[in-house]
Amino acid sequence: MRIYYFVEAWRSIRRHRGLATTAILGLTAALTLAGVFVLLTHNARLTLRLVGDRREVVVYLKDEIAREQRDAMQHRLEQLYGQVAYVDKDQAWQEFSEQIGDPDLLQAVDGNPLPASFRIKLKAELLSFNAMSAVAKQLQQFPEVEDVRFGGDWVRRLDDVIRGIQTGTLVVGILVALAIVLVLHNTIRLSVLARRHQVEIMSRLGATDRFIATPFVIEALIEAAIAAAVALLAVFALQQAFVARFVPIAFLPPTWILAFFGAVVGLAWLSAMLALNRVLRAVGP
Amino acid sequence: MITFQQVVKRHGERVVLDHVSWRMDEGECVVFVGQSGAGKTTILRLITHEIQPSAGVVSIGTFRGGRLSRNQRALLRRTLGIIYEDFRLLSDRTVFENVALAVRICGSFGTEEVIPRVLYALDEVGLKHKQTSLPSELSAGERQRVAIARAIVNRPAVILADEPTGALEAKSAGEVLTLLKRIHAEGAALLLVTKSPEVADAIGGRAMTIEDGRIVSGQTTPAPAAMGPPS
Repeated sequence: MRIYYFVEAWRSIRRHRGLATTAILGLTAALTLAGVFVLLTHNARLTLRLVGDRREVVVYLKDEIAREQRDAMQHRLEQLYGQVAYVDKDQAWQEFSEQIGDPDLLQAVDGNPLPASFRIKLKAELLSFNAMSAVAKQLQQFPEVEDVRFGGDWVRRLDDVIRGIQTGTLVVGILVALAIVLVLHNTIRLSVLARRHQVEIMSRLGATDRFIATPFVIEALIEAAIAAAVALLAVFALQQAFVARFVPIAFLPPTWILAFFGAVVGLAWLSAMLALNRVLRAVGP
Repeated sequence: MITFQQVVKRHGERVVLDHVSWRMDEGECVVFVGQSGAGKTTILRLITHEIQPSAGVVSIGTFRGGRLSRNQRALLRRTLGIIYEDFRLLSDRTVFENVALAVRICGSFGTEEVIPRVLYALDEVGLKHKQTSLPSELSAGERQRVAIARAIVNRPAVILADEPTGALEAKSAGEVLTLLKRIHAEGAALLLVTKSPEVADAIGGRAMTIEDGRIVSGQTTPAPAAMGPPS
């Protein structure tokens, strides 16, 4: 019986080639657009993860604090905020010297004015601008602390970029989902109407809605799966072309490909069910 | 088996059936004779729940009146075998596939049972040798025999025939009527509607004449002696 449904779906696709081809092309276009955006999102996330790893809070310490005090504070900070690295005055001067590079300029400085510091790599949940600001305020309360820096403006801009990408992904995702639902809804409706005579006969012979609908649902799933596969191939080709001409970007990992495919097939199923629920009531006597 | 109690059907202002009551029992042969627009096909459409009565009750077996759900309606139709004047075959399927469709819809038989059942039904109507033909390759009489094979393939308790010879020339019509009589003789109840009194005479059974939505002559309930198929 199950083979019958697949045979019927394939028969319908073959018989209404034009309709099926139009649906597949329309879906492929929408899914390629979605795929490109998913690819951009994926690469943006990779980049942001790299950049995000560099987010840190630097806590400058007063010169007069004792080693025991400093060790106790480091222990406390590790408990509260994340990984803490201690940079003493000499190390700070060495890093500063490497950054300046000009020995004459460095000789003009009298002694080592740089303070020792803690560099804190924050826990993941503390990496937003608001959380980092709150952490900075808390750190200012420690009596051993001279000053706290975390590059507020830079973090705020980074957060804005992340929010923009997330919103863009959501908006494009919703638009593409609507496009998929509309294209498949209309395709299935037209497919049923084109086979109205057959549906009427089946209904009069006692076919249940499920019996009539299943081949149409399979038809929608096949068309959506073909369109998703073609769209992924197109996105892969675009990624390869981009890598060859511009900068290296990563293709989607297998989990993202599976999720993309699953979402498309899920939407196809939903669209087909919505269309059939309405059209069978209109067609079946 | 099938009972109409004071059934009224209106299409807008027009009364198509006017307080019609009649009954048929298992294994009976009932014929409605009447002109176009008399209400014959409306009776069949009420039985198959394509339409609902405006008033009164239509009972078919255990389905007693009222609006059925879509699944119940499908179940009801699977207990009936229906033959139409215009055959209603699927033009892109072979004879075998047209008949097999009814078996698959019935859903009561396994895949391995489809082929023997279909071949048996086609053998019954004398079209086993045409199983791979398309309907367009058949004569009108042969197409109606395919429709009959499709109607009987699930061994329904009742066969409904709507002008089964209406589109056929005399020889094919005679063959189809002989076939229907044989199927009735094998135990199926037969409800046939026709414009032609000759067809009613040829098929035998209990005839009722319907005019302007009313049964004007004939016995509306089965006589005790008339029950059951002819021996």
